[in-house]
Amino acid sequence: MGTFFQKAADYTKDAISAGKYLLQGLAVTFDHMRRRPITVQYPYEKLIPSERYRGRIHYEFDKCIACEVCVRVCPINLPVVDWVMNKETKKKELRNYSIDFGVCIFCGNCVEYCPTNCLSMTEEYELAAFDRHNLNFDNVALGRLPTNVTTDPSVIALKELAYLPKGVMDPHELDKNSPRAGKLPSEVSVKTIENNKASVGEKT
Amino acid sequence: MTIATSTELICFLILSSVIVSGALGVVLIDNIVYSAFLLGGVFMSVAGLYLLLNASFVAAAQILVYVGAVNVLILFAIMLVNKQEELKPIKGLKIRRFFSGCVCAGLLALLFRVDITTNWATPGPKAIGEIATERIGEHLFTDYLLPFELASVLLLMAMIGAIVLARRDVISIELESTDSIPQNIINNSTDNVLLDQSSD
Amino acid sequence: MFTTLKIVLIAVVNPGLDLERSFNHLLQGMGLPSSIAHLLWLPLPMLLVLTAALIGVLVTVWLERKISAAAQQRVGPEYAGALGILQPMADGLKLLVKEDIIPHKADSLLFTLGPILVLIPVILSWLIVPFGQNLLISNVGIGIFLWIALSSIQPIGLLMSGYASNNKYSLLGGLRAAAQSISYEIPLALAVLAVVMMSNSLSTVDIVNQQNTTGLFSWNIFRQPVGFLIFWICALAECERLPFDLPEAEEELVAGYQTEYAGMKFALFYLGSYINLILSSLLVSILYLGGWGFPIPIDLITNSLGQSPNAPVIQILAATIGIIMTVFKTYFLVFLAILLRWTTPRVRIDQLLDLGWKFLLPIALVNLLFTAALKLAFPIAFGG
Repeated sequence: MGTFFQKAADYTKDAISAGKYLLQGLAVTFDHMRRRPITVQYPYEKLIPSERYRGRIHYEFDKCIACEVCVRVCPINLPVVDWVMNKETKKKELRNYSIDFGVCIFCGNCVEYCPTNCLSMTEEYELAAFDRHNLNFDNVALGRLPTNVTTDPSVIALKELAYLPKGVMDPHELDKNSPRAGKLPSEVSVKTIENNKASVGEKT
Repeated sequence: MTIATSTELICFLILSSVIVSGALGVVLIDNIVYSAFLLGGVFMSVAGLYLLLNASFVAAAQILVYVGAVNVLILFAIMLVNKQEELKPIKGLKIRRFFSGCVCAGLLALLFRVDITTNWATPGPKAIGEIATERIGEHLFTDYLLPFELASVLLLMAMIGAIVLARRDVISIELESTDSIPQNIINNSTDNVLLDQSSD
Repeated sequence: MFTTLKIVLIAVVNPGLDLERSFNHLLQGMGLPSSIAHLLWLPLPMLLVLTAALIGVLVTVWLERKISAAAQQRVGPEYAGALGILQPMADGLKLLVKEDIIPHKADSLLFTLGPILVLIPVILSWLIVPFGQNLLISNVGIGIFLWIALSSIQPIGLLMSGYASNNKYSLLGGLRAAAQSISYEIPLALAVLAVVMMSNSLSTVDIVNQQNTTGLFSWNIFRQPVGFLIFWICALAECERLPFDLPEAEEELVAGYQTEYAGMKFALFYLGSYINLILSSLLVSILYLGGWGFPIPIDLITNSLGQSPNAPVIQILAATIGIIMTVFKTYFLVFLAILLRWTTPRVRIDQLLDLGWKFLLPIALVNLLFTAALKLAFPIAFGG
């Protein structure tokens, strides 16, 4: 008989605690309702890509020496470097250069290894096309300047979370000149860096 | 004839024709699912007849019990039974049908005779309307207590029977282990398949 | 709601705010016989309640989408009308003009009949929903029992559409819906029975009146807290709302019995489920939250202000407050249902049946017995 009452009491306790947890969950949901939506309403609002964003690759034809380093470091040997050897000058003459962005994985190896810095990553990411062959950019298309979110008058540019002031979660209605959390490398004085180095040295 | 009585007559005719044709459909249609759905329609029309007789509680109870419980259970049974086998045509089906038709016709004739010979009191007793619910309750717990309790005992028995049938562990079913499990499989499983080679 | 008010204002107001009588008076004053006046009156409340139900659905759909968005920190519908208020209307229009597809191997008759059988009982149940003393279609004696009986027709429609779709997901969804519906009907009916026992009547008007003797504290939720919880859980299960939306669990059954439906037939299901949600919320507010009752009794306020409660203006005001209170309580419960939707995960089918048969049913029975005992012991507080 004792065990029966014990069981009944345990059951009741379980039921009550389940109800309590349910209420707790409801409180969490309710709390979420007073937060502002984090939606970025895309075609009208766009996030400013971060500084090291790896978007569409920009290419400067005149700087290129057709060394094909980019092809060798590319995981799939994607860039097509079309050159001919000029027998008289004994120099490579570049005729065409193209990258297919339908295949590119935007790893940035080519940009990193380019000896003349003729390749660079841009912040352009809107590469949708009706035909995948349109994604095969030749040197003219690659040389176009990227579209810029901040200069487009029809788009409200929003800062990403990492570029917001400390404690701010919402990029809407934010002062344009508000500083980001933390310091930029340029803001950190040389002295402090040296001090830090010294302190690290003392420890070791 | 006032609007009320003519409406009542029209409703009665519609409902009774639905009941008769529906009931015929339940018996005659080959597709068993259609029969079950038609049965639900018949039950609902019967509830409509009760409504016409001002017996709203009985009508609601009819819907709740017959449509909501009985018919749904019939449908459940039909839809959960996964019957693949083809039914063989029974021999002498025509003679069987003839005899069952005769029995049904005889029953119908009997009913008609009762209908004609009985001296029905028209108009019948006045409907008590809204207080019918209370009156039914009173009768159930005074005059008709014994049948009421008997019905509940019957239901209890049915329920216990269903539980016994549904629970396998109450009836201890012997495992069908007529062909003995080869013992060497179990023995083999204890042998080391991957030999420890570090000691070699 | 607003149309009701308009008719209140148009009709010549009599003590007791009996719109039917005033309407008949008005027409008889114009020289019509009373039977014709009655015939003319009959469709009016039905149309009114149907309109109210449909507007209620539109509002609920909008609320559901907006509140869901808020709970997930999204924006929700925004561009159709101010704050997306016309979005449900746009959805409805879209469903109206969509092609009405009947799958090739489906049973077209049952396929068409299914959604109708699901919707009609739900709409019929609005017969007994009171917004005020006389503001309901019909104060039938069996009241709340009619709703329980009618809601038991729904599983037939669900089974029908599940079977007729000729699709295994549909069939499973239909079977699940029917199983869920019939297993939660029993604790639901038992919870209602406890309330009925306290108010000595099945009629919804009597149930509300019995709760409004001393305002807020005589509401049934304080006398029947367990019954309230049982009823609410069962109502959610009957409406197939999360956490009990197994019949249309997207991850397992595509959309359950609705899988093969498109266009207006799908709209009927959609409408049915939302009307059912509003109806359940209305009935919770009627059975447990005092229906049209204001937390402080209206008579008390009028008496303290030195006004007669039978004055026409007071009557209209009281009726307005009653309607507003009913709608307010209902939408509070709808809000709670939406909040629960985003809080609780879906239960498994065995958990669902366990909850229904092994938890709610015994507790509902104990609650019923306990209520009976309390009624015998304290007849004053528990409606002797």
